[in-house]
Amino acid sequence: MEYSDDNKDRRITQLRKGILELAVMGVLYHDRHYGYSLVRVLTETGSMSIKEGTIYPILARLDRDGLVRSEWVESDQGPPRKYYTLTPLGRQAFNELSQEFDLLVSLAQRHWKVREQAEQARKKLVVRKG
Amino acid sequence: MNQYPDAVTTIVNDYLERVKSQLRSLPALEQQDFLREVQSHLYDAYEQTPGLDDVARILAVLRNFGEPADVVSDRLPGAMVRSGTRRNLPLYIIGGILIALFGIPLGFGGFGVLLGLLAALAGTLIAYYAFTGALLFTGCIIMITGLTRALLPEFWDRLVELGYIQTGGPLGDFLDTITPADQGLLMILFASVFLAAAWGLFRLGKHLLRGLRFLFSLTFEWMRRFATTIRRKLRRDDLQSPRVGFPSFVTDK
Repeated sequence: MEYSDDNKDRRITQLRKGILELAVMGVLYHDRHYGYSLVRVLTETGSMSIKEGTIYPILARLDRDGLVRSEWVESDQGPPRKYYTLTPLGRQAFNELSQEFDLLVSLAQRHWKVREQAEQARKKLVVRKG
Repeated sequence: MNQYPDAVTTIVNDYLERVKSQLRSLPALEQQDFLREVQSHLYDAYEQTPGLDDVARILAVLRNFGEPADVVSDRLPGAMVRSGTRRNLPLYIIGGILIALFGIPLGFGGFGVLLGLLAALAGTLIAYYAFTGALLFTGCIIMITGLTRALLPEFWDRLVELGYIQTGGPLGDFLDTITPADQGLLMILFASVFLAAAWGLFRLGKHLLRGLRFLFSLTFEWMRRFATTIRRKLRRDDLQSPRVGFPSFVTDK
């Protein structure tokens, strides 16, 4: 069976989607943000390429689960902005999720470490033979 | 508050209308809140987007923002549940009750009951559409007959002579007392009632169909989750249990 580009794209999108929620919580952990400023932080400092509107389904989900709270604040530069803050429950969830994420990353990187070790062992063998 | 040029205002309003149409199932307050938020985002993005051409700027903003369907995607499932309660749609509520009562606590037994009920509901829907179709067909036949009687009375008489059309009993006696044109008119009137009833039933059936589709999707979603849970549980049990009784001749030498 062939691993098509569509499959690859779908998996990358899925992976990014999963990480995006954690990234949003990470940004809100330190400061309150409104949708547009959150997108700017993620795209400029986090180098994440996303459709800006996709942030709102994530915020809606976090809000529904009680992980963020929001409030409307008047702006002197245009319409009011809706600011989001991570709730204590959200902070707890973020801590737990980032631990889980670290674990997954280390698991994914283990494959490379094993390959590197095998490569080094092979080189040593070649040197000895030589 | 609105400081856009006219052309940009039109484009933004059109986009917001598209978002709004996707949010129909949400409560009005939630719709307004989200639309305000999108409006605020678009304004900030527009202000920060460089360029001299206003239309090109707002189009770039909307392109970056994404399609309305993607923007509202995660709001809909919860909204569907809420709209079921809010609008008192019987099938939505039945769905929730069925899954709550039979689906989860009774495991496979409940699953069977649930599937049976869904099949019964699907059968009812098929019968409903069959009846509506029959009503429509009858309406069409009466309409054609009425038009023939009113516009082609000679042809009608010929069909009666040949025995293709037979009218007897009290109905025949009654029809003989009025003129052919009135007979045709009466039939067209009856046909209109039949056709109107069929049209109404078709329209109503759309809601039933939507409700049933919702119930099926809920059930299949539950089945998928249930299967995943069982699979995970089996895998976990398999890993935890010692391999007692494993044939020794395979491993021992």
